[in-house]
Amino acid sequence: MHRLSGIALALFLPVHFWALGQALQGEATLESFLRWSEQPLVKASEWAIVLLLAAHLTGGVRILMIEFLPWRDWQKTLAALAAAAALAIGLLFVLSSTAHAQGWPQKPVKFIVPFPPGGATDISARLLGQKLTEIWGQTVLIENRGGAGGSVGAAEAAKAAPDGYTLFFPSGSVVTANQYIYANLNYDPEKDFVPVTNVVSGPQVLTVPANSPYKSVKDLIESGRANPGKLYFGHAGIGSQTHLAAENFVFQAKLDATAVPYKGEGPGLAALVGGETHFFVGNVAASIGHIKGGRLRALGVTSKAEIPQLPGVPPIASVVPGFENTGWFGIVAPRGTPKDVIQKVYLDTRKALQDAVMKEKFFAQGLAPVGNSPEEMGRAMKEESELWKNVVKARNIHVK
Amino acid sequence: MSAKTQTYLWLIQRLSAAVLALCVLVHLATLIYAVRGGLSAAEILGRTRGNLAWFAFYSIFVFAVTLHVPIGLRAVLSEWLGWRGAGRDLALLGFGVLLAWGGMRAVMAVFL
Repeated sequence: MHRLSGIALALFLPVHFWALGQALQGEATLESFLRWSEQPLVKASEWAIVLLLAAHLTGGVRILMIEFLPWRDWQKTLAALAAAAALAIGLLFVLSSTAHAQGWPQKPVKFIVPFPPGGATDISARLLGQKLTEIWGQTVLIENRGGAGGSVGAAEAAKAAPDGYTLFFPSGSVVTANQYIYANLNYDPEKDFVPVTNVVSGPQVLTVPANSPYKSVKDLIESGRANPGKLYFGHAGIGSQTHLAAENFVFQAKLDATAVPYKGEGPGLAALVGGETHFFVGNVAASIGHIKGGRLRALGVTSKAEIPQLPGVPPIASVVPGFENTGWFGIVAPRGTPKDVIQKVYLDTRKALQDAVMKEKFFAQGLAPVGNSPEEMGRAMKEESELWKNVVKARNIHVK
Repeated sequence: MSAKTQTYLWLIQRLSAAVLALCVLVHLATLIYAVRGGLSAAEILGRTRGNLAWFAFYSIFVFAVTLHVPIGLRAVLSEWLGWRGAGRDLALLGFGVLLAWGGMRAVMAVFL
């Protein structure tokens, strides 16, 4: 057995060295080599090599012990078998892990977006989904499941099989604020999801209809203060980033305004264009088309300084000192998703975000790529969660 | 072949086996770390290229393979096929050179 396995391994080694030498001429070829190694025939030969190596080691260890150790025969055989078993388990572990990480994805991957099409979350998910489709060679499908400030989509994603084929693409507040707002939330952001990566972040913009009498942030604030409760602002759902951003603005600008929830940012902005509400603090990605198209007028941005995508639009902080608000959109996975799949999604997302064309597309939407690690995202989510916990309590934003 | 040379070959065979057993374990641990960590091809190469310690380790690995395999095959060829003499040793030397060349080619692709 020792000799037969030795002969087989001796014949395999030159092939292995040759293939490795060929593949490792550069990154691109190594990636193709890894993909090639996923073929059933190659996989089967790997398993055969594992068995051969285990058999060869068993014999080898036994020979060494017979020659060098004064043990009894059964003790030597047992020790040799233990060594072989340890090696086989190690190798099988490597092979199965490799199969998981490199074999994924074998079919289309679904991003559940908890808002309807047209909002910043949807836009971000679609832009990234296109690039990941290229990288993975598998389609990334976007499924919009709007409602209840993102809670409907979140609950569905939380129940999805944790196999990496269903991932959740929320805006930040869905996983950092909703748990403090909704009394009967049917998902638990901390227990049901694990962080993958924060994809993009960016400021928001305060807009009014193009025919609105308000020409500046100052006009709007004065009107709100003079007519308490008469100004209406739309948002993407209770607890959504646009809701919290607007509440933050209303609170800090010390005016009285009434919130009107919509099923998403797209519908909320469409209602603003139609004159149903007076203002909206939306993500730049979702608002910029309406602003450039002349349907909405931008009064101020939530960043500390003017942003290049909206030249001439001053920061709200120029009227409300210290005001700042940032939105983000990222990927989280149902808890139980294999760690190597999470790593792959994170690394491939980071790779996608480094692409110059992607950067340009996100820039045009007023968004900056982030691509932090799952650990970094987890820490940031915890910090933000604490912040929203305090804000929600102070502003008394609750849904029973 | 003299008894002294036979003894040397026997000793080299056992020593290289011990080295290989250790190398296989380190190689396995490295693979598990890379695979479980989800490292991409670019990241693996980013860590290995220019790293002299890994270059030395895998060179020793290849060197041990180059010694162990031909000596093992030598015994098989003699005892099973009855092939002895200079022809056999020359063929095995060629096989050893092939292993050394192929192995070092792969090592250099990863580390240089």
